[in-house]
Amino acid sequence: MRNRGRTAFIISYLAPAVILYGVFVILPVLQAVGFSLFKWSGLSSKKTYVGFDNFKQLFHDNVFWEALLHNAWIFVFGGTAILVIAIAVAHGMQGESKLTKTLRGVYLFPNIMSLVVVAILWEFVYDPHIGLVTSLVKLFGGSAKPNPLAPIQDTSILGNPTKALPAVIITFVWFAVGFYIMLFSAGIRQIPQEVAEASKLDGAEGIFRFRKITLPLLWSVGRISVIYIVINTLNVFALVYLMTQGGPDRKTEVMLTYLYEQAFVNSDYGAATALAIANFVIVMAVSGIVMGLTRKDPSGAHH
Amino acid sequence: MNQAISLTKRVFAAIGLTIFTLAVVVPLLWMVLTSLKSGPEIFASPWGMPGRIHWENFTHAWETAGIAHFFLNSLIVTIATLAILLPTGAMAAYVFARYPFPGSKLLFGTFLGGMMFPQFLTIVPLFFLMNTLKIGAFSLYDTKLGLTIVYVAYSLPFTVFVLTGFFQTLPKDLDEAAMIDGAGHSKVFWRVMLPLAKPGLIVVGIFNGIGLWNEYSLALVLIPSEQNRTLPLGIANLVMVEHYQSDWGALFAGLVIVMVPVLVVYWIFRDKIHETMLAGALKG
Repeated sequence: MRNRGRTAFIISYLAPAVILYGVFVILPVLQAVGFSLFKWSGLSSKKTYVGFDNFKQLFHDNVFWEALLHNAWIFVFGGTAILVIAIAVAHGMQGESKLTKTLRGVYLFPNIMSLVVVAILWEFVYDPHIGLVTSLVKLFGGSAKPNPLAPIQDTSILGNPTKALPAVIITFVWFAVGFYIMLFSAGIRQIPQEVAEASKLDGAEGIFRFRKITLPLLWSVGRISVIYIVINTLNVFALVYLMTQGGPDRKTEVMLTYLYEQAFVNSDYGAATALAIANFVIVMAVSGIVMGLTRKDPSGAHH
Repeated sequence: MNQAISLTKRVFAAIGLTIFTLAVVVPLLWMVLTSLKSGPEIFASPWGMPGRIHWENFTHAWETAGIAHFFLNSLIVTIATLAILLPTGAMAAYVFARYPFPGSKLLFGTFLGGMMFPQFLTIVPLFFLMNTLKIGAFSLYDTKLGLTIVYVAYSLPFTVFVLTGFFQTLPKDLDEAAMIDGAGHSKVFWRVMLPLAKPGLIVVGIFNGIGLWNEYSLALVLIPSEQNRTLPLGIANLVMVEHYQSDWGALFAGLVIVMVPVLVVYWIFRDKIHETMLAGALKG
């Protein structure tokens, strides 16, 4: 193998990617750490070094904790719903017939669409005048006819402080679940046929077979799913920003909508960057905890 | 007895799957149906059929609401991004796959790390960077060129990851034989390896293309002006800022216009897309 020009080739072929990635991804990541240590507002170049003050402020900021709590609710309720539905559908729809393959493809539609379309579509689904939900409630005997005299939070779902977050969570599940159905279906396909056959011969049936054979074999897929759910629920932005802007009265505020507000509405860039780093650290920490807690497979099988 | 249980269970499973399928599909069908109804029909009942098909909703969305312009912007940015991303990513991936050098593993790892950074970690510094970087007298902020460059940079980690894996599967004898024939490193790449990598490039291109067409958060921060708005940004602005709700039919038509190209591409290439998603998810 000739080595003439090898080094020059390597450098020139890596250069475009390395420069673009270095300037627009790595550099801003490093800058983010620096920015978080300065008090810095507006487009002026006036920056004051304040050490960890932005983080201290964040720690005492009630809005941040409220936002984090909402992220946690989305993770707990949305995540549980996603896992239950995904495992149930993947388990109930085994086999590679044309119908099951088509349906699995259809379940991924919401995931392929722009979050902007998903958010606006569901804003309309929840709309008290034209939406599907109001008419469904009526169908089942509820009186959901908007009373023109009632205050707005009684008639609209997304304007109601107690209904808005559950409504956003339902939308999130609708958007995300197809991806996890695909993951679990792939996991079930990997279960060796002999294992499934042997369990049948032993008389292991139904629920028993599901718990003893299917579930442990799905453990690794489950772990990956939970990690993805952690990342996606703690980083939710477009859905909330477009459906409720964090409202009403911050009842759906999440970390990243608050970050956006701090940076691009309040021009408090130091605080926004501190929040960005806190968000990243929280995602990493929770992912790490989940990895640690789920290392051991309850059935004792090794993967 | 056993059979009775399994029959009941089958019925329950079938009912459950039907309800779930309806929950996924009905909002989508409702969106398409509503995009074909008149204003009064939309208010009368969400389930009612249109008296006639109101195609004018689509002309209103396309012309009056300015969707055509946003559509064009999205098309330009998506195609330009892919045109820069695919060769850039393929060149780097080929080096990572075939030309190990001291530190190449570390550099590759740094690229993959990019898949873990949430976009919002860099959003504030990126906003200032785009304002600072200038081409002539103009900053990259609020330009289609600037958005394109940022899209390339943020799509590189996944692209390099997938294409490196692809180049590694190609047999080594091919490039070695070409080298013995006297072709230089560059010639081997462009004439032999890149054509062989075409299936990988198509998958990565489609996958990135869908994501770029749909992208919202980066565009929201980097594109303030109406003139440069991409499609997701444009339709979001119609609903949130301009309160275009006086013309519901046109709004629903707008949503359909954003969604349809993506779903058509997805449906044609769905097997490949599923494969890539699974490979990315389970190995990454």
